[in-house]
Amino acid sequence: MNENETELKVQALVDGELTGREAEDLRARIETDDGLRKLHARLTAVRGLMAGAELPRTLPESGDFHWSQISKAIEREERQTKRLARPASSAKRLLRWVLPLAGIACLVLVLSLQQTTMPDLDILLGSDHELELSIEDIDVMTFNTGDDTMSVVWLDYSIDLQQDKIDLWLD
Amino acid sequence: MTPALVITLSLNNLISRFTFLVALLVFVGGGFVVAQADPITVQAHLVLGTSTEQKGKTEVSNVIRKRLAKVFKWMKYYELRSRRMSIVDGATKTAKLSKTAKIEVSNRKNGRIGVSLFSEGKMLVQKNQLLKPGNCMVLAGESGTDSAWFIVISKDK
Repeated sequence: MNENETELKVQALVDGELTGREAEDLRARIETDDGLRKLHARLTAVRGLMAGAELPRTLPESGDFHWSQISKAIEREERQTKRLARPASSAKRLLRWVLPLAGIACLVLVLSLQQTTMPDLDILLGSDHELELSIEDIDVMTFNTGDDTMSVVWLDYSIDLQQDKIDLWLD
Repeated sequence: MTPALVITLSLNNLISRFTFLVALLVFVGGGFVVAQADPITVQAHLVLGTSTEQKGKTEVSNVIRKRLAKVFKWMKYYELRSRRMSIVDGATKTAKLSKTAKIEVSNRKNGRIGVSLFSEGKMLVQKNQLLKPGNCMVLAGESGTDSAWFIVISKDK
């Protein structure tokens, strides 16, 4: 142990910071060592002087007040973190509803735009009609006009429009 | 009661019964005659629809032209053939409209008709529907480039 460390130990002993075996060992050394004994005496004297001269320092607030302030600050921080976290979750909840609704709205908009851009042929699909197709290779489209006065069967088929010579003669 | 009076009463009874029977027969028979509906008259027009004017061909009536032009893109409609058929209930009549095409029209009663279209001897399509007077059934298809054929079937009022 060097000299500086020993002096610090003596100082600690004077301040009452050393206890037990360590304090006893140091006291034994002080009794045998003149230098240490002088140092201990000087430090004890200085401590005696300081003890009387030291101004009492009182805290402006009680310790409880400080703890309550600390706990309030902690609570405030927790509240702030919760408040910051809450909008994120509510935004997610909102998005969960808003996104499908926005999708449906877009779909409706697209469909309505398509309807408005479609030419108005004034036709209806389906009615109390029976249609029988004999040749499956032919594509057929059937519809009624809006006023239901004309039903149309459109065949993907070209018929020969030439008139029979006998019919021509008969006509 | 005398026997002569008894004979007279029974004779009167017999005559009244006979009269009632005759009246009943007349009523039922008359009703049966009324139930037999008049035959329907169906007109079939073979029409060519084109975008270009074709000289020498007869244009269709305004009624048919307006109806077709309202739906189809062609502006000129020419009547190639027309047939008129009178069909009684449950009967079927055939009309040849071109060298290879003919239609069979059946009167299916209660205003319903059935139309079958044949081409080169094969039935292409059969359509059954209620056809009111003034309404029409149209069988149609494309014919070559930028033209179409129409068979317009209507019932007279």
